[in-house]
Amino acid sequence: MRTIDDFTRPLEYLSPMDAPLRKVVREWADNEVIPHRRKFDEDYEEHKLIEPAFDKLMGEYGMQRVLFPSDLGGWGMGGSNYFATAAYMLCEEVSRADSGMGVAFAVVHWPLLLICVEPHVNRELCEEFAPIFCSTTKARFAANAMTEPQGGADIENMDIVRGSTIQTTAVLDGDEWVINGHKLWPTNSGGVCDLFGVVCTTRAGSNDPDDFAFIFVPADTPGVTQGPPYQKAGMAADKNGDIWFENVRVPRPYRAHGPGEDLKYFKEMVALGNTMSVAFAGGALLNVYERLYEFVTETTYKGQPLKEHDAVAGVLADIATDIEVIRVVGYQNARMLDRTDLYGPRWGEELVAKSRAYKYYTCDRAMDVTGKAMNLLSNYGADRDWDIEKHWRDLKIVQLWLGGKQLGQAEVARFFFDLETV
Amino acid sequence: MSEHEIFPCMYEWLTDMDVSLAGNLRRWADNEVMARRLELKESYEQLLEPAMRQLFLEIGLQRLLWPEKYGGDGHNSPKAAVTMVAALEQVSRGDTSIALLLSSMWALQSCMAMEGKENHEACEAFAELFGSQDTLAITSLVLPLFRDEPQARAKLAKGAWSVEAKSARPLASGADAAVFGVLCSGAGSDIPGDEVCVIALPAAAKGIKRGKPFLKTGMAADRNAPVSFDKAKAPEGLCVARGLEACRGMLSWLYLGVAASTVGALFAAYEILKEWGDNRVIKGKGQTFKNNPLTSSVMAEVAREISVSRMLTCDLGRVLSEPGIYGPAGEEGNFVLAEMVANTVTLSAEKAIGGAMEMMASAGYATEWNLERYWRDTKTLQVCLGPYELAKMDYARYFYQSEAR
Ligand SMILES: Cc1cc2nc3c(=O)[nH]c(=O)nc-3n(C[C@H](O)[C@H](O)[C@H](O)COP(=O)(O)OP(=O)(O)OC[C@H]3O[C@@H](n4cnc5c(N)ncnc54)[C@H](O)[C@@H]3O)c2cc1C
Repeated sequence: MRTIDDFTRPLEYLSPMDAPLRKVVREWADNEVIPHRRKFDEDYEEHKLIEPAFDKLMGEYGMQRVLFPSDLGGWGMGGSNYFATAAYMLCEEVSRADSGMGVAFAVVHWPLLLICVEPHVNRELCEEFAPIFCSTTKARFAANAMTEPQGGADIENMDIVRGSTIQTTAVLDGDEWVINGHKLWPTNSGGVCDLFGVVCTTRAGSNDPDDFAFIFVPADTPGVTQGPPYQKAGMAADKNGDIWFENVRVPRPYRAHGPGEDLKYFKEMVALGNTMSVAFAGGALLNVYERLYEFVTETTYKGQPLKEHDAVAGVLADIATDIEVIRVVGYQNARMLDRTDLYGPRWGEELVAKSRAYKYYTCDRAMDVTGKAMNLLSNYGADRDWDIEKHWRDLKIVQLWLGGKQLGQAEVARFFFDLETV
Repeated sequence: MSEHEIFPCMYEWLTDMDVSLAGNLRRWADNEVMARRLELKESYEQLLEPAMRQLFLEIGLQRLLWPEKYGGDGHNSPKAAVTMVAALEQVSRGDTSIALLLSSMWALQSCMAMEGKENHEACEAFAELFGSQDTLAITSLVLPLFRDEPQARAKLAKGAWSVEAKSARPLASGADAAVFGVLCSGAGSDIPGDEVCVIALPAAAKGIKRGKPFLKTGMAADRNAPVSFDKAKAPEGLCVARGLEACRGMLSWLYLGVAASTVGALFAAYEILKEWGDNRVIKGKGQTFKNNPLTSSVMAEVAREISVSRMLTCDLGRVLSEPGIYGPAGEEGNFVLAEMVANTVTLSAEKAIGGAMEMMASAGYATEWNLERYWRDTKTLQVCLGPYELAKMDYARYFYQSEAR
């Protein structure tokens, strides 16, 4: 019998930790998440079911420590040359169970990327924040606060807009940054966040890259208020809400790197965000395959398993082909981010544009695949019992976030066709 | 011109009553659902029961297509197909799940109460329910999940039908139904495919066992649950459709309802997207969404899907309303047309509302903006039609005399 492991991964460049980590996460997914996930939607505010699973994965197993240097209690993956490939595998496996958990898990590491990953480790900040994540067996959350009420896509459109629409300000007052602004939607907000990475401007309206600032703000700093989680179409395991920063004061060194550098490495966050979005979708699709396999095998039509119907088989082939291609593309993209010696810096125009291309291609295919799978299930397609509708609801936001398809199209066209104004 | 009138349909087919009904239902949707859903955003379900009571009982939609003689308003002629489109568009704009419940009810009524072909025994049996001023006539259809394989079996003995099915999955409302319309095999015809029938079973009939309501993608007004029929008995006259053509007649009406409900949801999506496109600015471009070529091209495609879907649905309504010109609703060509229109419109809706969500990004995904509700509900309408791959076998049979099943 075929399984999800029959979908190809480029075996010659998997990370050395691939096999043991995969086993642990798959078992966790099968035991701690999959049996409970049908009740997650009703648990979106309290996370009574979701929290214990997070605690196990991130706190007990220590997955929230992976990027930090080993001497600070971490696993040192930020200094390895395989962190993107390893991260891809982890995000894929978590998302197979629940892509909302996949994104919540990944975003813990997202702002930390800026300070924990070579070649731009900020040792001082690693030391400052390692205790939050490395000295506990409870899940701890970080969030990347970019989006603002007037729009998220513009803020992520760094090459054209260059931070000029950011309204959250950071003003230096002596040895402290004073931050004021209103953010919304970050993954791991809605009351759970421990550490924010906040996208700010040091001069409102400026498009000078030097004025783009990425500043860390512990969530318990006076002046930080988190609103309750929003209700949304899916992704219950990811809490999202408003955050208000009112005269929030943090030490000057909490700025990730400084003028020019913050924007540079923020682009790396965008590249990684897109690549991991492929992993969220790819992982969920592996589970769509598993559930669909079961359905079309068990269900009979004209005295045969549904899958033996020629026309149905045609759709099954299309679904499998998309999953196969997405997996190969996703691992390839992760590998490109690891081999910067061959593909250029992770914050470079090329990798940023290409990761956007892979992300929006994948998401379009993923919506099509899950939609078709739901359709094959007839009325059961809309029942939570078959899980496919859950993946369909969850994955829609993967398609929409990070500036949506249109920003992706703009950047891809700009890169490949040398556009100047789009 | 109201927002949705810019999507053309054949107005000359609408009667004055259709137009006035549509106007009333538009007000119902605005006042009873759309205005209140913000205030009840945490518990949307709470607004549904009163809104449905108003719609089914006070406005009286459960009596509309029911014969006067049996307590209805007497619009029980094929012409009601056009009325049904006009009504469901408006109801679904407010709430698509309520429109599905109405579609199921009208589909069942169409095969027991059509003028000149009334099944008097059935009309008598259900007069109290459909003519009621205080009981909601929630109707649950139990249809084949996979094309022509019914979930239930019926047997006629000693002047009564006995219906058998184990854990059948109704189209909707398994938990709340006052009446079940069960499409069964076993009607006893020698003609292959013709041995099907629809039995109307009052919910109080012995041998009906409902399972626990299950969770699903959307359709808030529909509390669905698996239903078992353990030799559930109905008098012979409650067989309201017998043979393939009669059963297909009911399905054609249902598919019309599904298409019209989808169009109504598309109107709602259009209004939400239009407001967004008029006001939201892509700051980096200094343009509103509707004025940016890339986003306006997506918005344009949304409008194209809505326009064409509405036109197709109205045409189908017209076809079913004029059996004198086009033949009975259950004739193979009309049935296939109805199936095609419903499939095309629901596939269009998936694309259009998905595209609208792209434009609105996180706002499109948030419950507060309501767009995502229509996305979930219209996808549910699509899967209600069964797998598209199997529907295509019906098309191939009709157009190419294909024997593929
Ligand atoms: C579950 C979830 C998790 C999220 N996680 C995070 C997070 O961790 N951190 C965070 O900061 N935000 C997060 N967001 C917000 C998300 O990233 C933004 O919603 C998204 O980037 C778009 O921003 P917006 O919603 O403000 O829409 P807008 O910025 O108004 O964009 C809407 C649409 O405009 C189009 N568009 C964008 N740019 C252009 C252009 N240049 N030309 C033409 N069209 C364009 C695209 O179609 C886009 O979808 C999350 C949202 C959700 C729902």
